[in-house]
Amino acid sequence: MSDPADSLRSYVRAALELQGYEFSEERIAEMTLQFTRIESIARTLLPPAADADAKLDLGPAPVFRP
Amino acid sequence: MNGAALDIARRIRSGERTAASVLAETRALIEARDRALNCFTATTFERAEREAGAIDARRSRGESLPPLAGVPYAVKNLFDIAGVTTLAGAKVNADNPAAAADAYLVARMHEAGAVLVGALNMDEHAYGFTCENTHYGATRNPHDLARVSGGSSGGSAAAVAGDMVPVTLGSDTSGSIRVPASFCGVFGLKPTYGRLSRSSCFPFVDSLDHVGPLAGTVGDLAATYDALQGRDARDHACAQRDIECVGATPILPAGTRVGILGGWFQDWAGPAARSAVQMAAAALGARRWCELESAASARAAAFVITGAEGGALHREKLQARYAEFEPASRDRLVAGSLIPASWLIQAQRVRKMAHAEALELFGRFDVLLAAAAPDYAPLIGSESFTINDRTVPTRATLGVLTQPISCIGLPVCAAPLWPEGDGKGQPAVNMPMGVQLIAAPWREDLCLAAAAVLERAGIAGVRAATAAAGGGSASRQ
Repeated sequence: MSDPADSLRSYVRAALELQGYEFSEERIAEMTLQFTRIESIARTLLPPAADADAKLDLGPAPVFRP
Repeated sequence: MNGAALDIARRIRSGERTAASVLAETRALIEARDRALNCFTATTFERAEREAGAIDARRSRGESLPPLAGVPYAVKNLFDIAGVTTLAGAKVNADNPAAAADAYLVARMHEAGAVLVGALNMDEHAYGFTCENTHYGATRNPHDLARVSGGSSGGSAAAVAGDMVPVTLGSDTSGSIRVPASFCGVFGLKPTYGRLSRSSCFPFVDSLDHVGPLAGTVGDLAATYDALQGRDARDHACAQRDIECVGATPILPAGTRVGILGGWFQDWAGPAARSAVQMAAAALGARRWCELESAASARAAAFVITGAEGGALHREKLQARYAEFEPASRDRLVAGSLIPASWLIQAQRVRKMAHAEALELFGRFDVLLAAAAPDYAPLIGSESFTINDRTVPTRATLGVLTQPISCIGLPVCAAPLWPEGDGKGQPAVNMPMGVQLIAAPWREDLCLAAAAVLERAGIAGVRAATAAAGGGSASRQ
């Protein structure tokens, strides 16, 4: 199993390239840190992969209306 | 000092004052005080003279005057002002052409007779809670120049607290009206998502962006809110609802059930914030605690949605002009633009779940009470602060109590209290601490009425900003 930190680094690097960004290694490292923080927060919203019945994973994503 | 907005309008209507004299006094106040506070990024005095002159001419012709006749106000610099470049706090927007027309809400204020005196500082692209803007300077807190004004509508809050104008307009995506209102000690209203039109406002996060007023009294806030309402098809989120006026003296109905939010909202409230909530609860007769169990998830959802939508909005300019973006937020924006769609979709599902839970809560309560910020305004340059033994990054955490509420679009009035220490030995710092008064969708009237209770009880209101340049401002409480 791959190291999650390596996976995040690889993802950020590939996604930056795909989106057309060109940054120095120093900047990529900083953006990886920022993305890692977002991922740690997003992870709390995602049901565990093994939990196929997780309530939140069902249904469409709504357009928000108050 | 100029005084409260409704008082100014009343005096102009009666002939006791002219709009031109009020404007002249306002201009002098701004010129004396803004050097230290740095609220204004542009002034519009020529336009203001035309607007004030028109009000005075109408009165001299014997015409009836609109509700905010001659009231000076200013707007966060993300609202379009005809003839002024809309900066949204960013250097990359400084070379854009001037706006051809006013934003919808600026036009509404003009119709209400108000006199626009300028545009106000903010965090770049509204992405921040401190108003420490690298390009245009930090807006300082009128109660302590060493502290931040809060953000992103920092100029809007500090201009009222510094007694330069009685009313301003701001925007709130995750707390950007409520946090600076709390830090600067003014009232702020974040209406229901979709209540007020955002057309011709520079966007940040379309599905979370709100706009609303800040003011020194509840009456001024309510009167301004009433003037701003209206249907506007140019903002796709603007609800097609009739105007529901609150009036300048909102009254909380007898038997209103006020619940005190615990759980997340206590965990992230420091001693001063808890003290402010206790003071407000006592004045409102609130004794029952409740929880919004999905608060943590709602905050996380807001964080993800903000990153994804904000990053996507600025992606092209970030690619071309990254170096000109705000150093404090540009890497977060780029990282946000990399968020996978599945996370964003999940965040929207969580949002729906949290909204449903909140609506259930409003079956038991009419108004919910929570602190508006974890602590007093931090010092300018502060990178971290400690809340309940947790040391956390300042910029990312100041909205921790506001984000769960704006994520689900509920109306909130932020009211400024002045807790004297925490009763456990913490010294009084003579700084304001805001509370949030939260109601069910479209019940801004209840938020404002609850704030009016605190104001009438003498525990919420603006106080003289002794640190403001020139000093000498007086309380409007």
